[in-house]
Amino acid sequence: MWIEFVEMNEPVALYTLKTGQSGRILGFASDDVPMKLYELGLIPGSFVTLKKKLPFGGPVCIRILETSNLIALRKSEADSILIERFL
Amino acid sequence: MKEKKIALVGNPNVGKSTLFNLLTGLRQKVGNYPGMTVEKKTGTFIYGDTKFNLIDLPGTYGIYPTSLDEQVVTDILNNPEHPNHPELAVVVGEPTNLKRSVFLFQQVRDSGIPALFVINMMDEAEKSGIEFDKEKLNQRLQANVIFTDARNGKGIEELKKALSSELEIHEMNYRIPKEFSQAISAIKELNPSLNDYRAWQYLAQNEIKNLPEEEKIQLNKTKSEHKIISRRLQVKETLQRYERIDEDLKDVLTRKEKRPASLTEKLDRIFIHPASGYLIFFGLLLLIFQAVFAWSAPFMDFIDEGFAWLSGSVGSILPEGPVNGLITDGIIAGIGGIVIFIPQIAILFLFISVMEESGYMSRVVYLMDRWLKPFGLSGKSAVPLMSGAACAIPAVMSARNIENDKERLITILVTPFITCSARLPIYVIIIGLIIPEQTFYGFNLQGIALFAMYVIGVLGALGSAWVLKKIIRSNFKSYLILELPTYKLPVWRNVLLTVWEKSSGFIFGAGKIILAISIILWVLGSFGFSEDFKNAEQIVSTQNPGLNGQSLENEVASYKLEHSILGNMGQVIEPVIEPLGYDWKMGIGLISSFAAREVFVGTMATVYSLGDTEDDLTIRERMGKEVNQITGKSAYNFATGASLLLFYAFAMQCMSTIAVVRKETDSWKWTFIQLAFMTGLAYIAALIAYQLLK
Repeated sequence: MWIEFVEMNEPVALYTLKTGQSGRILGFASDDVPMKLYELGLIPGSFVTLKKKLPFGGPVCIRILETSNLIALRKSEADSILIERFL
Repeated sequence: MKEKKIALVGNPNVGKSTLFNLLTGLRQKVGNYPGMTVEKKTGTFIYGDTKFNLIDLPGTYGIYPTSLDEQVVTDILNNPEHPNHPELAVVVGEPTNLKRSVFLFQQVRDSGIPALFVINMMDEAEKSGIEFDKEKLNQRLQANVIFTDARNGKGIEELKKALSSELEIHEMNYRIPKEFSQAISAIKELNPSLNDYRAWQYLAQNEIKNLPEEEKIQLNKTKSEHKIISRRLQVKETLQRYERIDEDLKDVLTRKEKRPASLTEKLDRIFIHPASGYLIFFGLLLLIFQAVFAWSAPFMDFIDEGFAWLSGSVGSILPEGPVNGLITDGIIAGIGGIVIFIPQIAILFLFISVMEESGYMSRVVYLMDRWLKPFGLSGKSAVPLMSGAACAIPAVMSARNIENDKERLITILVTPFITCSARLPIYVIIIGLIIPEQTFYGFNLQGIALFAMYVIGVLGALGSAWVLKKIIRSNFKSYLILELPTYKLPVWRNVLLTVWEKSSGFIFGAGKIILAISIILWVLGSFGFSEDFKNAEQIVSTQNPGLNGQSLENEVASYKLEHSILGNMGQVIEPVIEPLGYDWKMGIGLISSFAAREVFVGTMATVYSLGDTEDDLTIRERMGKEVNQITGKSAYNFATGASLLLFYAFAMQCMSTIAVVRKETDSWKWTFIQLAFMTGLAYIAALIAYQLLK
């Protein structure tokens, strides 16, 4: 499940992605993110794409690779998910 | 006949309720888990020689709860003593998110509950180009997986058959890491009946709710002895399970690559677009408001006239007397007052269930979360708040769809602040009395005042939501982690069942309380202890010898009401309402409008000897002439008018709302807190307004 990358990037918050950009989850910024994130499969190693973003710090929609439903996250949740951005 | 307890478990949006409705049909009951706002759906059906008692548990992704609804699932599954603990769990999944469903299935089955795995919505698999190797799937899961499509009933027979058949033998799916074996042994020593995974649950759950206090203390001691941090165990288990599921399902699922943009993606480009998304949603809200407000009117008129006719004809058949009055004015009118809400409830839930069924409701949450979250509300609260502008009864009922219990409770508590249509007649009359009919920069002053009342309602709702957010405690953090399911055509059976369940639930659930209060109010208004009340006709005709016919009747009705128990109560509360600028006659109106706010107008008409007139102008004219006996000023001057407006804006003057809040919260505590909070706020606002303006 762990994939080596030739190019390693600094971990950034998922929220900083622009619409259409993807990344791989590295971990979480805090120790008490809701278990629901894990249960939905937002776990280290998953590939996610940011699909939608609402203005004024609104929620984002992301898609986990190979799943069909979008997942809406508040900015605070999307900020706590650390990813490695694909260049 | 044999009986078997079955629980439906599954992720949200897997068609679990469709399956439940298909199995149980109308043999279902919707209520609350004791003392909680969490919805409990149970039902029965008979297959072969067995009666199956089904419970539809709230949607969940796993057995480590992050909300009160999920807590309910965990409590039921983890506690064999729980009255709803199932003999068989049916775990429902769907093909496009199979891993999540398998994850839940394995957790449930490892807990020692016999479990069936159902993959529902098989039509979705085709649409998104997913193919299964069913044999391999059965082998990897050590189960006999059942495939259904509840929308059109496919696979239901197989499912029913499987419910009574023997299940495959399986091994524990989760291998507990070696480093915890000592802690597990310690737990099992204390509780020999547990299997390894249940023992693991004792360590991994933050709290095992059903344990007696001393065992909880013992458990926590064991945990700290073995340096167990529950949350780390939860994370560890989840990651390990997913790793294994990835491995197991690798060659079970095949996905056709590069499918064209789906209908859902195309629709979402408009529906959750930062501009058009909001535009469409507000358009929809307006449409819902219009529907609940206007479309229901002919039906409500019909019910109103029907009950008036019924009460009239029953009244003419029965002999005159108190029994006649009780049946016609008390019971029949009371039942009419309950049934009258059905058109609004039915129309609102028609919209809401179509929104839920189609998948649009999740988009509403996504769009509105940013704006309602600061007030402790959910994105979904937008719907109850908006429909509260028509009537708080269906609006409060619609709060049930909100996932988070705290947000749900706050929504229920603040929705009655929104200006409902019953406040409108009062506003119109009072504004007509105290605001001159002039224009101000082209705007009608009275129109501005009415608009201001709507704004006050919204401010009242949002302001108190903000306060309640600070006060109400929840064991669960607020978050938004929400799947947006693909758009689907609504299953009409589900929509109709929802409308039916909401309407009948209101009549039989809240109706009792409404009927009881309306009978009490009728008794208060129709009986009196004093000699004045008993000899009303005589006294009135002696005092006004010139009166006859209708005017005499009106005068007698007024005199009787003033000397009834209700009239006495008006006099008793006069010292309390005097600082607000009201006299005891208005006190009568305040108490009787508890039946429904608009009753105020009719009661004042009776008090002022106008009979049953509903003509606004007549009432307004008469009210304009009324003089307050205490102050000697006009009873409806600017100060008292403003005070009355504010009182009606904030006060919980509606027994039907109280009954429905009681039903939805399953708690008298919150019902009374709301009543006290709203009435207190109304009193203070009216007091300040009157004292400043007089």
